[in-house]
Amino acid sequence: MPEELKDKIESTASKVMRTPRSLDIEITARCNLRCRYCYFFNNPAVEYRDLPTDEWLKFFDELGSLGVMNVTLAGGEPFIRKDLPILLEGIARNRMRFSFLSNGALIDDEIAAFIARTGRCEHVQVSVDGSCAEVHDSCRGQGSFDGAIRGIRTLQRHRIGVAVRVTIHRSNVNDLDNIAHFLLEELGLPNFGTNSAGYMGTCCVNADDLLLNIEERKEAMVTLLRLTANNNGRISADAGPLADGRMWRRMEEARVQNEPAFHNGGRLTACGCPSNKISVRADGAIVPCNMLAHVKLGRINHDSLAEIWKNSPALNQLRNRYTIPLTGFEFCAGCSYIPYCTGNCPGLAYTLTGMVDHPSPDACLRRFLEEGGAVV
Amino acid sequence: MNQTDKPIANPIVVLREEFDDWAVLFNPDTADAMGTNPVGVAVWKRMDGKRSLEDIASEIRNSFEDTPDAASKEIADFVNTLAENGFAGLELESK
Repeated sequence: MPEELKDKIESTASKVMRTPRSLDIEITARCNLRCRYCYFFNNPAVEYRDLPTDEWLKFFDELGSLGVMNVTLAGGEPFIRKDLPILLEGIARNRMRFSFLSNGALIDDEIAAFIARTGRCEHVQVSVDGSCAEVHDSCRGQGSFDGAIRGIRTLQRHRIGVAVRVTIHRSNVNDLDNIAHFLLEELGLPNFGTNSAGYMGTCCVNADDLLLNIEERKEAMVTLLRLTANNNGRISADAGPLADGRMWRRMEEARVQNEPAFHNGGRLTACGCPSNKISVRADGAIVPCNMLAHVKLGRINHDSLAEIWKNSPALNQLRNRYTIPLTGFEFCAGCSYIPYCTGNCPGLAYTLTGMVDHPSPDACLRRFLEEGGAVV
Repeated sequence: MNQTDKPIANPIVVLREEFDDWAVLFNPDTADAMGTNPVGVAVWKRMDGKRSLEDIASEIRNSFEDTPDAASKEIADFVNTLAENGFAGLELESK
């Protein structure tokens, strides 16, 4: 998109597009794995059932009529659906592109060839959490590493874009150097992304075993900042230790220099997702985001997506989160980082505090420092 | 078969009208996207393979106030840009 238009869109942040540009769709509630930190399963607010093919095809027709550009198919494991080719044809017929979030194990030559033929696949994101089976399988189950790598190789053979995401947790935080070497050198990926296990879903049950403690978090930041510098920026992150390390470094520099507040700093601005996209659960419930799966806005093929997008009180309340100043929270009282803080993910804020309209404690730099962390 | 001067929108391209009547043209086959202003949107909606460039320019002049003298050339340039990027073509002469 031309910069001119991008600037215009950003400058009218308070206005919302007429329809969502993209959707995250949990196309199935089934999965061949049971990862110990999965955000999807063990959410008491979610009904774990699948919709029939026809329901999705009807919904894709609606998305086509609204000019939606992209859908991301997740789950569960999207490749578990036997009707996937029919669903992809429905997406393509409605002039959309698609991408996947997958564990890779169910990707075979047949489906990869089909995807390649559509010409509409942005990429398939495959989770790889270790440089070897021992590390990867520790949280994802025996055989899952071999499945992921087999899936990646299959996609590469069919010239489908592969995006790898590494979820960092206590069992792989010491394997990051090896992981980077394995993904960038041995698998030959142009880049990969990172995040970290978060206090959601199944992870809440296993939090003590999985979530990084302060020292591990600090170590992950140091390692990832070094690795990305040494690999020409081929490691990215929107969340997790690398994203925190970069952001907190900027915040500390700004605080020391007494710089003016960051754009959108000092308020609950977070990611801005509710203004660009919307999500659908496997049972057809329309929700603002997969991380806010308990906030039901309506149901596909029963409620108009355009109407929900424009007029849902709950969605508009989320969009107006940016008007809530951090200075109003007891949690933030006296914090010198407020002008540079956005309060971060509302989904994590909810699972950690029970409130969506609250800063996420997980992303709090002051708390991290008070508990022994450091800006690296 | 020869081309006419009647532009026709690529039917696979999606017109996404955003706020303030600006729009994005999106080609799902190539993932190319192009931003356009309200006049561009009006031109796009008239690219049906039946109207000539001059027909379109004339309709635009009647629909928008203070249309500049160079409107015809600007519309032709816009259509050329669309064609170069695979968003549009020129209707072929029928036998």
